[in-house]
Amino acid sequence: MAGKTGRIDSVYCGSGVDGKGLRCIVFFSGCNLRCPFCHNPETLFKSGKETEVGELVTKLLRYKGYFRRGGVTLSGGEPFLQKDFYLELANALHENKIHVCVETNGHICDSELIAASDSILCDIKNQEEDDLTVYAPFFAECLRQGKEVQLTNVLVPGKNDSKEKITALAKFIKEFWPGSAMKFLPFRKLCEEKYRELSRPFPYADVREAEPKDVEKAEKLFADSVI
Amino acid sequence: MSKEFKKGAYESRIDVRGFIQTNYTPYEGDDGFLCGPTKRTKKLMEKVNALLKKESDKGGVLDVDTERVSSLLTYPAGYIDKENEIIVGLQTDAPLKRGVNPFGGIRMARQACEAYGYKLSDLVETEFSYKTTHNDAVFHVYTDEMKAVRHAGLLTGLPDAYGRGRIIGDYRRVALYGVDKLIEEKMKDKKAYGEKLMDEQNIRTLEELYKQIDFLKKLKEMGMMYGVDISGPAKNAKEAIQWTYFAYLAAIKEQNGAAMSLGRVSTFLDIYIERDLENGTLTEEEAQELIDDFVIKLRITRQLRTPEYNDLFGGDPTWTTESVGGMGEDGRTLVTKTSYRILNTLYNLGAAPEPNLTILWSENLPEPFKKFCAKVSIDTDSIQYENDDLMRPIYGDDYGIACCVSAMKIGKQMQFFGARCNLAKLLLLALNGGKDEKSGNQLAPEGKNFEGVLDYKEVREAYHKYMAWLCRLYVNTLNVIHYMHDKYAYEKIQMALHDTEVERFLACGVAGLSVAVDSLSAIKYAKVTPVYNEQGIICDFKIEGEFPKYGNDDDRVDDIAKDLLREFSDELKKTPAYRGAIHTLSVLTITSNVVYGKKTGATPDGRAAGEPFAPGANPMHNRDLSGALASLNSVAKLPYEYCRDGISNTFSIVPSALGENREDRAENLTDMLDGYFGQGAHHLNVNVLDRAKLVAAMEHPELYPNITIRVSGYAVNFHKLSKAHQLEVLKRTYHERV
Repeated sequence: MAGKTGRIDSVYCGSGVDGKGLRCIVFFSGCNLRCPFCHNPETLFKSGKETEVGELVTKLLRYKGYFRRGGVTLSGGEPFLQKDFYLELANALHENKIHVCVETNGHICDSELIAASDSILCDIKNQEEDDLTVYAPFFAECLRQGKEVQLTNVLVPGKNDSKEKITALAKFIKEFWPGSAMKFLPFRKLCEEKYRELSRPFPYADVREAEPKDVEKAEKLFADSVI
Repeated sequence: MSKEFKKGAYESRIDVRGFIQTNYTPYEGDDGFLCGPTKRTKKLMEKVNALLKKESDKGGVLDVDTERVSSLLTYPAGYIDKENEIIVGLQTDAPLKRGVNPFGGIRMARQACEAYGYKLSDLVETEFSYKTTHNDAVFHVYTDEMKAVRHAGLLTGLPDAYGRGRIIGDYRRVALYGVDKLIEEKMKDKKAYGEKLMDEQNIRTLEELYKQIDFLKKLKEMGMMYGVDISGPAKNAKEAIQWTYFAYLAAIKEQNGAAMSLGRVSTFLDIYIERDLENGTLTEEEAQELIDDFVIKLRITRQLRTPEYNDLFGGDPTWTTESVGGMGEDGRTLVTKTSYRILNTLYNLGAAPEPNLTILWSENLPEPFKKFCAKVSIDTDSIQYENDDLMRPIYGDDYGIACCVSAMKIGKQMQFFGARCNLAKLLLLALNGGKDEKSGNQLAPEGKNFEGVLDYKEVREAYHKYMAWLCRLYVNTLNVIHYMHDKYAYEKIQMALHDTEVERFLACGVAGLSVAVDSLSAIKYAKVTPVYNEQGIICDFKIEGEFPKYGNDDDRVDDIAKDLLREFSDELKKTPAYRGAIHTLSVLTITSNVVYGKKTGATPDGRAAGEPFAPGANPMHNRDLSGALASLNSVAKLPYEYCRDGISNTFSIVPSALGENREDRAENLTDMLDGYFGQGAHHLNVNVLDRAKLVAAMEHPELYPNITIRVSGYAVNFHKLSKAHQLEVLKRTYHERV
């Protein structure tokens, strides 16, 4: 098994919080966005390692014993940017009965890529942006295919934690999934060191980290917002 | 009509396993039936907690009886609270008061007393001035070479000054058969051996049988001191627990071995509990109360140790290891309700390091039990896991774990504990042509001195040469130790609770595996140049370039680890062991990895001189960077085939990395154990604990009095560790994914 190659930053084996069960995470290199709070700047500014599907699958198969409820999460970067590689990889994983979850920014609506993913984690970026219509085609396609989607949103104090921002977000989301909940991820600055290594400024260096109480507040605002 | 036990061959010969298999009731349900502590239990536990606090306030030792020598009949009956105890018996006449046991060595007993402000009585001193102790005898025979490697720390933790331990008496036999029947069987054996040729071996066996019978009689007398007659079989659950406990108590009164493990009693006891429940003579609440009371007793077992000993084995452990669960050879699970009840003591009495509860994990364990274990792990950090699917084919389904990871068939196999060899130091010895890197002394035959960039093949050859030299010396040293231990500190009551013909293991060990392996990897894949001091001894290494590190599921380096263990095991076997023992090997350091690190110079992997090793088979701190599962996979590759005495791995993870909520965390931990053991891995300690919480606990111990953490193979109260050990635990890789 050789197959197509793609650009991979790294593989992390062992997470309990990136999709269902225990998972290995493949970090794809390259992204179509430049979010100022990005946690994985190395996937944006480094070109990654050219990796063959076969080589990667062999590595991931070493963890199959842990995947009773889990599997592999394809993250990045934006994994949907490397379509051919993604499809072949997802296919090979499915042949080995491994569950594939994707972590995408939802800006690329491609029915084949969506179809190749068993479950979807989509992070909504409304920190610097009010217009969320860019997500509409992607959401509609996920709905059409009946995909399991979990939405996340990085809560950045002073950027997207206001009542207006959260209400707008809730209203937009609930158009697609009326009863849905949002998983707010507290903004953290643990990635500062990575920016330092890359000799790049961390755009949100001066923003404070989100606290549990900020998250609680946001969750409540989100739940209370009805269309 | 009351229910009786099913009859079987176990009635006509000593066969506890047969009794279990004929009579036990597997349990596949969940924990819903469990009861909380009774008022009585809570009251008793309050008393014990107050005593434990006093002990801790006094610097770790509450009291010492310096007037007497610990044995079965030395002390009058002792109680915590006589009216409120169900299971009775203490090591001395008062709870937490430590007895003196100088049979292993009088010097160690004397120093231990002095360290805590006591003085060994003249009476005991005088009495032992006429006796040869195990320690005296070993040093009568040790060669200069043996003394030198011991002094340098190439061989460390040798049991030559205290009881060797790691022997599990089949304490259940006392409950099932009563002492009289056990004496009768041993007398039959003695008669039969008396017919044989009186060669040295047979004479020794006969003398040992005499001692065993003598101590079985003393065991009966010990029971009578508490007003309990244990000459016949136990008739109900309470008696079964009491009889079993008395047998264990006799062992810890007689011996002060580092690890005095309990065996595998819960499913055995369950049979009595089930019968009483069925007969309506016991309620669930009372059943739990019995187990709680039993465990309270196990929690307060103590031995008198020196501070140096505590440096090696932090946290005052006793390794009262109880093996729980597992599967039977017929495919039925050996999990019973009492497997749950004993784990439930961690809730009823609060988390605690002892007894050292060890889950024998199998892929086929009932799902609800797996989940319950995972929850107990997450809530209390107090249990460890070992691979039943790996051990059952070798040891059958009635084995137990001694100490941390040493498996043996209960009552049929025993081991000669052999501590360990420092593999990292041995590598430095090879690079220095047989000289100790710390003192500059020529410890081993003179060999090649290395200069310039190290060549992997040449280093490997030299390493092998010195490994062969050390393995021979190591086995010979252990032979001396165990010959003398048998002669001067024979485990009379524990061996009385074994078959007369036992299989013996010579349990050798290695420390510093990850340091040695990463060092070899650095030499192989990067450019390593030694730096010399004025005496011409290597004091540091210049490392250029990258090299793969053990703990990242990278075969390039993990294969070095496998080869090293196979090579070491093969070399050990070349020197015959005392009493025909089978050589085994463990990768285990307990907390001694700190002390071993102190005694070892800078290594080619970039580790600075004096820096602690990783514990057991763990990858070195902060080098396993590919994720928790990659780290587990590396350790899982180590061959149990060559490490039959166990491969210890300690796994620490912050709760938030294991899953989002309690339910997910338990499920994920279960999957992790299945995945790890499914690859043939042997052992895992699990700590689901925030690093931040440990830092806080270090600074404010009063806020976190009962933090239990697992280190290689056993649990300790975090606060009983020295500062150095605490820091080392903090440094150990925490798997934290953000």
